[in-house]
Amino acid sequence: MEELFEKIAHCVEFGKINLASPYPPDMKGQEGADELTKKAIDEGADPDDVLKKGLVVGMEKIGVKFRENKVFVPQVLMSAKAMSTAMEHLKPFFVSGHVKRKGVFVIGTVAGDLHDIGKNLVAMMVEGSGFEVVDLGTDVNSQKFVDAVKQNPGCFVGLSALLTTTMVNMEKIVSDIKAEIPGTKVLIGGAPVSDDFRQKINADFYSPDPQGAVDYLNTVVV
Amino acid sequence: MMTKAQLFNLLSERQIPDGKTLFRPILMHFAARFSGKTYGQFASDYRTLVDYNLKAMDHFDLDLVGLISDPYRETSAFGAKVSFPDEAVPVCKEIIVNSIKDIKKLKNPDVYKGERTLDRINGAELFQKELKGEVPVIGWIEGPLAEACDLAGISNMLMYLMADPDFCHMLMDKCVITAKDFAKAQIEAGCQIIGMGDAICSQIDAYTYDTYVKNRHKEIIDYIHECGGKVKLHICGNITHHLPSISELNVDILDLDYQVDLDEAYDVVGPDVIRCGNINPVLVEERSAQEIYEASKMLVNKEKGRKFILSAGCEITVNTKPENLMAMRNASIF
Repeated sequence: MEELFEKIAHCVEFGKINLASPYPPDMKGQEGADELTKKAIDEGADPDDVLKKGLVVGMEKIGVKFRENKVFVPQVLMSAKAMSTAMEHLKPFFVSGHVKRKGVFVIGTVAGDLHDIGKNLVAMMVEGSGFEVVDLGTDVNSQKFVDAVKQNPGCFVGLSALLTTTMVNMEKIVSDIKAEIPGTKVLIGGAPVSDDFRQKINADFYSPDPQGAVDYLNTVVV
Repeated sequence: MMTKAQLFNLLSERQIPDGKTLFRPILMHFAARFSGKTYGQFASDYRTLVDYNLKAMDHFDLDLVGLISDPYRETSAFGAKVSFPDEAVPVCKEIIVNSIKDIKKLKNPDVYKGERTLDRINGAELFQKELKGEVPVIGWIEGPLAEACDLAGISNMLMYLMADPDFCHMLMDKCVITAKDFAKAQIEAGCQIIGMGDAICSQIDAYTYDTYVKNRHKEIIDYIHECGGKVKLHICGNITHHLPSISELNVDILDLDYQVDLDEAYDVVGPDVIRCGNINPVLVEERSAQEIYEASKMLVNKEKGRKFILSAGCEITVNTKPENLMAMRNASIF
């Protein structure tokens, strides 16, 4: 079974979704994360092992490569697609409680900003590391974040902004979340954002890349 | 006294003007706010756009003016709906290309009939009327990958680059046709320079750029040259990994964002390309006028004797203090 987990991890790392997918070219005609995950479950693998020894490992590897500029956004998107396709086979086990998520991560692009690529990358990477992700979408105001945090007690929150004009909206959202649900950890990211800015608005963590967010969440999750 | 157009021509011919480094930041939302109006008005009416650019040019003594406003001129002409919030970038939520069938149905627009493309062409004519050729006017087109992303959705298009070459080639070929048509129309209306924005290219690897984008950039650039215009290539973000390929494009002006090392860019693209940049626009907004002056001065001194235009790495943000922009101008006068 370990070999199968390695193959699943390899498919996720290199974005091999399924048999029909022509990408990556050197894996054309081979089974992908979709078929191999199903096979592992059918052969009696512990779904938790499929997640932790297969999917999470693959996403971690692509996350590190992205941080090191060895791959770029398209490759990460393909990996995330492979991961999410495979994850469909694990959904019943999440519902039954057989596989436990590490926690809940609420994410959204802040009010006034419609860009979603950075937010999506972080959401995919965090989901791929074993968290449940509640994606609030783009142009999300403070109240929506507060409501989502109340509905998911103990969750972590990610705020994304691409524009310098909208990153300023993070301050109110962080402030409102901390006022209404003290102790909530808030992560921020996006092209114009910096650690200086994080300190200024009293957020808990800033990362210039998605894997940094994943690493942080893994250190703070109980 | 030389006109700004003559100064730019000198710089293009590698005769570096005495007395000052040319200064032209990208102004959109800032220009609108500076003149007391909204971004929505700026992006939707060429008269407003030209008026605000001229006001900013006079106030900050800018050496070039431009028609850049937002990414959706061509997308609108292709048939997508665009709305204009008062204080935000125009919005286009509609994805009009979802399949190869959609691409086959997609008709290249007549840029003189598309309301938003015609608006920019009218802007070029108005600039010429007002400036009488004494100030270089930068028109604007979307690069082929940026336009394909606008039509098909960014995430979708980036995944198609990996998994569906036919889709990408077909769609980007159509984008090239419209880019060329739109560039030609703006040159005929009076633009001396055409800016080509292809921001998303910084997010793809060098192999993918070379496979899908490089030759299309080259085709558009060659065409603009044939039409008598010069080309400014603008790609936000870190494009260090693309510099070797860009060095083969014969581009006239290369906008560089703050993540790119200007010296490294000079070494790779060579002395004939005008590099334009590259102070971090967040710093231009947040730091004091004195700090911006010093940062600009350092850059200007370092670039003396080379073909260089002082600018921020990308658009000047709406909340930037006017005195910070003035500090950049002052720092570029010797």
